Amino acid sequence: MGIPEIEDAGCLLCFGYNGADSHPIVARRIVRGKQKGMKIICVDPRVTETARISDMHLQLKGGSNLALVNAMANVIWNEGLADIKFIEEHTNGFDEFLKVIEKYTPEYAETISHVPAEEIRKAARLYATTKPAMILYGMGVCQFTQAVDVVKGLANLALMTGNFGGPSMGIGPVRGQNNVQGACDMGALPNCYPGYQSVTDPEIRAKFEKAWGVPLSDKVGCAITHVPHRVLEEKDETKRIHAYYIFGEDPAQSDPDLAEIRETLDKCDFVVMQDIYMNKTGLHADVILPSTAWGEHDGVYTCADRGFQRIRKVIEPDPGLKTDWQIIQEISTAMGYPMHYENTEEIWNEMIDLCPSFKGATYEKMEKYGSVQWPCRDKSMEDKGTPYLHKGGKFATKDNRGVFYATDWHPPMELENDEYPMSLSTVREVGHYSVRTMTGNCRTLRNLEDEPGWVQMNTQDCERMGLVKGELVKILSKRGYCITRCLPTDRVKPGATYMTYQWWIGACNELTNAKLDPISNTPEYKYCACRVEKIKDQEWAENHVKELYDEIRTQMGITAGKGDH
Amino acid sequence: MNYFVKGNPDLCIGCRTCMIGCVVAHEGKHIFEVDPDSYTFNPRLHMVKTAKISVPVQCKHCENPACMAACPAGAIQMKDHAVIIDTSKCMGCKSCMDACPFGAIDMVTEAGKFQADGKERVVANKCDLCSGIPGGPACVRVCPTAALTLVKEDELADAMEKKRMEAARNLFRDNQE
Repeated sequence: MGIPEIEDAGCLLCFGYNGADSHPIVARRIVRGKQKGMKIICVDPRVTETARISDMHLQLKGGSNLALVNAMANVIWNEGLADIKFIEEHTNGFDEFLKVIEKYTPEYAETISHVPAEEIRKAARLYATTKPAMILYGMGVCQFTQAVDVVKGLANLALMTGNFGGPSMGIGPVRGQNNVQGACDMGALPNCYPGYQSVTDPEIRAKFEKAWGVPLSDKVGCAITHVPHRVLEEKDETKRIHAYYIFGEDPAQSDPDLAEIRETLDKCDFVVMQDIYMNKTGLHADVILPSTAWGEHDGVYTCADRGFQRIRKVIEPDPGLKTDWQIIQEISTAMGYPMHYENTEEIWNEMIDLCPSFKGATYEKMEKYGSVQWPCRDKSMEDKGTPYLHKGGKFATKDNRGVFYATDWHPPMELENDEYPMSLSTVREVGHYSVRTMTGNCRTLRNLEDEPGWVQMNTQDCERMGLVKGELVKILSKRGYCITRCLPTDRVKPGATYMTYQWWIGACNELTNAKLDPISNTPEYKYCACRVEKIKDQEWAENHVKELYDEIRTQMGITAGKGDH
Repeated sequence: MNYFVKGNPDLCIGCRTCMIGCVVAHEGKHIFEVDPDSYTFNPRLHMVKTAKISVPVQCKHCENPACMAACPAGAIQMKDHAVIIDTSKCMGCKSCMDACPFGAIDMVTEAGKFQADGKERVVANKCDLCSGIPGGPACVRVCPTAALTLVKEDELADAMEKKRMEAARNLFRDNQE
């Protein structure tokens, strides 16, 4: 399924996905769907823009996703709403799945999720009886220690209702970053080459060794979230990381537990940072390589719907600047493996010839069709790609059958306690993208929102603590603290706080917990325990924030727009 | 009759592109200048988010504007179907801001202009329906979900017609069903 199909779904289950703040252009499809009569079930602990226009908003307690998903499956089965024909013809593992979800009655799930049992029943009925039904999920699913289990849980819902393989149905991850799908497709993962070909498969490895003329490792690499451990705590000298080459990423802003990240970068022998502007990671780098931004280079992005799309150079970069691929080529050549490419199409052609599922996605086709969704296996113009991955109920398993997978819910790793009585979840805000390496350098967007950002808190909590809008507060966890502004709102529940992660001073990742999902290695950004403290001397706090901001800007060598904040 | 821009909270996603569009339209290419004194960020509409509503709020261009009546400097006039502040005449007395029942006027500093005490000049600021800017109100043009509309006589007449039809139907609903 593709993004444009969202608006034609009969029912949209929008789970842990806040399109308005993360992807306004996708949110537009949701709004348009609503205008066309699409039913919307929004599952989110906050009143998001989608929740506001939804038919049902299940305002669950953070960290209870799987209990709610399993309960929806429980209702669909027990009320006879499952597509038994689809289950019998196209899936395996249903009986084992039933055994797990049996205990997740809506009443049981209510005790965990705080969503009334009757609401869970109504939502399950609405999802199961409205065709076609589509699921979109975002970081509200993925950034928990129980993340992959919930993705599979949502897939169970689509499987048991036969919502796979056609227009406006299925389950759609709306990824956190632009082209993160492309990064995965191109093998920027520790366990595979481009095209999801395993590094541990000897035949695959032999193919790449032959093409590149070098012996390649048969071991799975290191996940980005394992780097701190491998630098700071690894006893085996052969496994310890000594050099860290970072590009297009700002771990000193975006990774959890920033104190640990800073220590990692400082203790690592050699750190290279390659980016378009100075950022927090750059402050700890030995070498900084300036690169080009979008609009200054050609390339290919993959959309969330698996569609390859060309991106094109609009302006010439400043003299002396090189694109990422040119820098990689020169570093590689200098390190003894000569690389010579004239343009990105040459690189692309080499890559697709090594990846059966991308082989047919030529520049010519992307040019002609705008987007080519993989798998696209044939170079002839007739193969336009694959809009529906599981067409006809055929799945990418050995026997072409979808697999049910169920597991029990477990709570987040760090819960509220006496010392830290509230929960913190990191979120996005429209206007500043990701760590704002780009948008922070756009003055109008910086005028709209600037340091030290906001902490969203329920109005009752604010009243109890005597906090008003805009007041500077200190927010702390076991790992660290930061200063930010209080934003009282009835869009969040009492006891919960929310912060965006792009601010240098209001840096909520000072607080976040670096515990990971065991399969995806994604950190639990969406839940940790925290405490908010009132700052009595607001004048001091305002000056302090200004000093901190000036200090960081001076360290980064920023002179433009001094006094402009 | 004066025109006005109306927001639809069922379509609005709270993204504030309208606020940026407003600043860009009124500041022109000043937004690209490095010198901070050459530019001010004064959106003439403001996003409001309550528990259940997201919508930008801006001047309604009243037919009998309280702001205009309150202005002792004669700086507020009706022109081109809009209520417009001539900031060069504005003395910064805040009467209009006080008088406006919608909170549509705020006091802002003007880039590169200074007042008697040497500080940046403070004047009243509000929506001017992009008077003199080609293409009409920027907020309407840039909204990604088409949540904003410029309401003119025709739109009003159509809307009233529809409302009257609806009212008539509702009156006799029982008979129809």
